[in-house]
Amino acid sequence: MDPVLAEIYRTVFDAAPYVIAAYGLLWVGLGGYVFFVLHRLSGVEREIAVLEESVARRS
Amino acid sequence: MGVKTDSPKEVRPEVADKKVLGLSKDSWIYTFLGLGFVLTTLDFLMAFLVSPLVLGAKVSGVRVIGGAIVQNQLLFSQKIFYFHVPVALGSFLVFFFTAFYGVRFLMTKDKIYDTKAKIATEVTLLFVILTLITGDLWTRFEWGQWWVWEPRLTTYFIMTLLVIAYFVLRNSIEDEERRATYAAVFGIVAFLDAPISFAITRMIPSSVHPVVLRSGGGLLPTQLIPFLSGLFGMLMIAWVIYQVRLKEEVLRERVEAVKAALEDDLTADAPTFTSFAKPETPGQS
Repeated sequence: MDPVLAEIYRTVFDAAPYVIAAYGLLWVGLGGYVFFVLHRLSGVEREIAVLEESVARRS
Repeated sequence: MGVKTDSPKEVRPEVADKKVLGLSKDSWIYTFLGLGFVLTTLDFLMAFLVSPLVLGAKVSGVRVIGGAIVQNQLLFSQKIFYFHVPVALGSFLVFFFTAFYGVRFLMTKDKIYDTKAKIATEVTLLFVILTLITGDLWTRFEWGQWWVWEPRLTTYFIMTLLVIAYFVLRNSIEDEERRATYAAVFGIVAFLDAPISFAITRMIPSSVHPVVLRSGGGLLPTQLIPFLSGLFGMLMIAWVIYQVRLKEEVLRERVEAVKAALEDDLTADAPTFTSFAKPETPGQS
């Protein structure tokens, strides 16, 4: 490769893993937490369904 | 104890599908969530495909790339800015709601404001962690170290510790009202670090941390649009997390209340201790 071009693009190649890791971790963190809270909410909803059934059975 | 033995997995499908209080009524949550992820994806795509590479140090020669004369290094690491700064600004904005709801709680003593402040701090913690991760990766590449004790990083680290301390404080107090009051006061005081951390790079000019958002602009439209897209996208996701967690907390309180009522009901219906006594048979005494 042309040495000047190599110099121009040096930081591009070197920084790529850091940039990709930063974006990937951010995405996983946000997406993972959203999934986690939605999963917890559906758990509470199921619990409510159980309680409703129990109340219905008793009445 | 019928309630306790009923595990959520044993719910009959027709009951589970009812979703009387579920997200089925809140389609706007999914709309916001989708929009948030679309905007953050747009931020990512525009950052790499539209925004120009920032110029760094001069190189030993000159080359023409894409019709433009280039005589500097192209700083690819600056691309982290497009998602690091929105998530950092998001952490400041969401942390504001901890203080806001803290004030509201102290004014009204309404428990819901304590719950809202707690959830806002949870979202702040998530955003703070993501800010530290993305910022650290940039620091490692640009400064060659994982951490530098410069003013912005130090004040932000203090804010991180304060957010963690908020939860430590909450977990260390048993009494509900005292916990809410102490947490509200602590949240308000802790938030004071956010404007300090935001402004510190402007207050101490020697700071090595880059100052991106200056008065009078500084960003090209091709940089500003992806940045704003990321900022609004992340704020939408923060809002969705906040709403979902709030809904969960409210439902959980109702579940506990219904469980307690059912248990009281069962206790009232249960036979008394004396009725379990072996009945005396005639002729034994």
